[in-house]
Amino acid sequence: MGISLLNKIEDIIKKKKIREYEILLVENDTYETIFKKNKGENEREIFDYEYTIRTLNQKVDGTGIGIVKGCSSDSKEIEKNIDICASISKSNSDFKYEFPQKRGIPEINIADELITNDPLEVKSKLTDELISEIEQQKDVLPTFGRVRIHCKKKFLRNHNGIDLKALKTFIFVEFSLKAQSNGKLSEYWLTNYFKEISHFNIREQVEKWTKLAKDTLIAKLPKPTSKAVIIFPPHLLREAINPVIGYHILGKAHNEKTSAYKIEEKIATDNFSLLDNGLLEGGFNTNSFDGEGTPQQKNIVIKDGYFKKRLYDQKYAILDNEDSTGNGMRSIEGSIHNDISNLEILPGNISLKEIISNIKEGYYIEQFSWLNPGELSGVFGAEIRNGYYIENGKIQHPIKGGNVSGNVLKMIKSCKFISKEKEFSLNSYFPYICFTNLSISS
Amino acid sequence: MTSLTSDIIFEKFEEQVNNYKRRNQYFDLLYDSISSLQIKKTRSTEDISSQNDKCGFVARTFLGSWKEYASNNISDLKLIKKKIPNVDNKGVLITEFESWKFNKEIKTKIDLLKISTDEKLQKVREIYDFIQNYSNQIVNTSILYKEFFTTRIFVNNEGCRLRQILPRVRLIIKPIAKEGSKREYDSFSIGGEMGFEIFDEINTKKLEQIAKNSLDMLATKSPPSGKFPLILDPEMTGIVAHESFGHGLEADQIIRDRSYLKDKKDKKVASDMCVICDNPSIENELGSYFFDDEGIKAAKNILVENGILKNFIYDRRTASELNGIPKGNGRRETFAHPINVRMSNTYFESGDYNLEEMITEINYGVMLVHSKFGMEDPIGGGMQCTSSKGYLIENGERTQLLSGITLSGSVLDLLQNIDAISNNKLQFHGGTCGKGNEDLVPVTSGGSYIRVKEGLISPG
Repeated sequence: MGISLLNKIEDIIKKKKIREYEILLVENDTYETIFKKNKGENEREIFDYEYTIRTLNQKVDGTGIGIVKGCSSDSKEIEKNIDICASISKSNSDFKYEFPQKRGIPEINIADELITNDPLEVKSKLTDELISEIEQQKDVLPTFGRVRIHCKKKFLRNHNGIDLKALKTFIFVEFSLKAQSNGKLSEYWLTNYFKEISHFNIREQVEKWTKLAKDTLIAKLPKPTSKAVIIFPPHLLREAINPVIGYHILGKAHNEKTSAYKIEEKIATDNFSLLDNGLLEGGFNTNSFDGEGTPQQKNIVIKDGYFKKRLYDQKYAILDNEDSTGNGMRSIEGSIHNDISNLEILPGNISLKEIISNIKEGYYIEQFSWLNPGELSGVFGAEIRNGYYIENGKIQHPIKGGNVSGNVLKMIKSCKFISKEKEFSLNSYFPYICFTNLSISS
Repeated sequence: MTSLTSDIIFEKFEEQVNNYKRRNQYFDLLYDSISSLQIKKTRSTEDISSQNDKCGFVARTFLGSWKEYASNNISDLKLIKKKIPNVDNKGVLITEFESWKFNKEIKTKIDLLKISTDEKLQKVREIYDFIQNYSNQIVNTSILYKEFFTTRIFVNNEGCRLRQILPRVRLIIKPIAKEGSKREYDSFSIGGEMGFEIFDEINTKKLEQIAKNSLDMLATKSPPSGKFPLILDPEMTGIVAHESFGHGLEADQIIRDRSYLKDKKDKKVASDMCVICDNPSIENELGSYFFDDEGIKAAKNILVENGILKNFIYDRRTASELNGIPKGNGRRETFAHPINVRMSNTYFESGDYNLEEMITEINYGVMLVHSKFGMEDPIGGGMQCTSSKGYLIENGERTQLLSGITLSGSVLDLLQNIDAISNNKLQFHGGTCGKGNEDLVPVTSGGSYIRVKEGLISPG
């Protein structure tokens, strides 16, 4: 379908004498097994494609941008879509915008050959291993799960000569393990995308889920305090840092007058440095080009606690007279939105074990109900699902329940310890960080 | 596929369905198409995007477990035979439900298709300009207008031949106010199965109030932490009904042994005054429809009556296994997503109390207003529901405006501690709901005001 449909759409656009255009074509092949307990409950295969056309209408004081999505390969339907797109570009009035020029693109492989060769075989092997490992665990039972393999082909072409393609593979795993004793129930429920199969170490993960599910059975409520010392593991840090810090560092936030940050302002502790790395090996959003066809890059955003650089897509780069940093991501509606690629926090020089041994009284939180901090304010209040109480440098007992309240914008001003260990979690590669300015109510 | 008429789709689907005899196996085919228009305006953006008939089909059979094949290429219909095997004598593995025929397209007061994009854009610009000019302290305003037409055609080998076209519209207005380094907002949203008349709901007085609500947030104080008498507004009441309680009643969680409510049927789970329902057949709400994505007719399901748990929420599979009556809760986000047991419009029925009396009777407590989000805990019965704002209640009066509040603790403790439900008219609040983090479907939740003797809150 790919190239021939792309050519067909481009031919029709050219016949309509539309000068500035862009076509994005995405093909998704998805293979999924959904489990009920430890048995397959639904085997699914999905083959889906769609294209997004953007056309520009340059005006005296700005640019009209038309965006239309479709999936029909019928010439008349394509023509209809292009007409809708052109009509929208006449109505719309956005800031000055033009499609990026053709530039050198780094060569990055983001597809796993094993998956592209035989996705069903990979899924089958993965699910067999996972279920076998789960069945070997004592005192826990699986309640449900999902394992999904994604193969995504992307073709991007614009009138400036950009003509790019990418093939990306990744997996999705969701599983819940339950422990039960004397009528009491507990679980550990994991939901995560993994860019690389190697990031999902089945034995290690299943043993960890089992321990968390069993420990939560005997969990106690945390003690209320307004000065809690709490360790966030990498995946929880992502839930805190990416939506909040990841918003305030954008050119968009600056132009909307909603960014809390000024360049060279001290916004975090000295030990905190943050990078946006669109080329990070193993990063979920790693690609050679962004949603507009601009090469992705690696940029230091916060260095030793100082805000150094904003991230730009093409539009906000033009508005701020900067260059795009390759941070134009594609929204579900087909428009471009300025966003982070993969965030990295530089590691510290202390191990997680040493961090714990340095805490007189505090907590390690494995999972909240849903952190979901306010993007602008950074404020959150979230119920603890799985965690541990630390006293005199040692983990004492599991905890569950109670709320942790805090503000992500303030948290990064109190990073007491940063671990040297780092882990991937979706589009982040973060260490463990211990914060000192959070509250707990229970 | 988009150029096909519904008659041709029916014809092509029936050809496929006829290959699978019901006595041998259950088989169904769903056609799904979404056309949408979205206008988003902020200080630095005016985005208009259109989606024209994004569509596909999904075929499936039940052979003790489901097997599905989905594609958006019409020529792939011929692959169904290869992907979905013919078997013998597996038809009894799932219960046969009532077959029916139905074909309806909802007509709205003002047809969206007869209104130009320019007119819609003009409305959005007017709202933006009004709010942006209301005060210098409003630094940005985000307006999101989204209309979408969902067409679902369903055919199965039990004789169902169904088609529905549902127009849904949402309008979300978010003025962002700033003072010093403080940035706050209070958002407003409306939506439902409606047309261009959605803008009739927006007048100058309403816009002033929306702007003022955000400006007022600059003067909020942080809420207290701990256990207090609480009043939940209809949005927060709905979030409790849906997120904290309803998800535990979804029968897929029951058959997975993943719900704390599994053994609570016909037992007391809430105070006597509580009646909680799920009802996709209510007219014109965001979570309304005529049939679900398994061809089951939408109907009211009384989940809790006088505090007693009466029913779970079923799809075909779980109703078959648990001998329940499905009421239309097997839903897909699109053809590319799986069926899950999902809620629709979920709510507490109104009670007898006067809201002002409910407030007057509290010496020191908190009112939680405007839901922000909630998260389910089907196995543990825990609760996390966060409001955008609230009020302190002191000596029977609403006093200080508070910033966001997180309600947590045990949902059953909360339900059993309800001591008053207001007699206000039911209010529904629309949004989307995921199963876990995925598979988003339009829903509403709501009720009237409820009072809880004691609940755990903290800043959130």
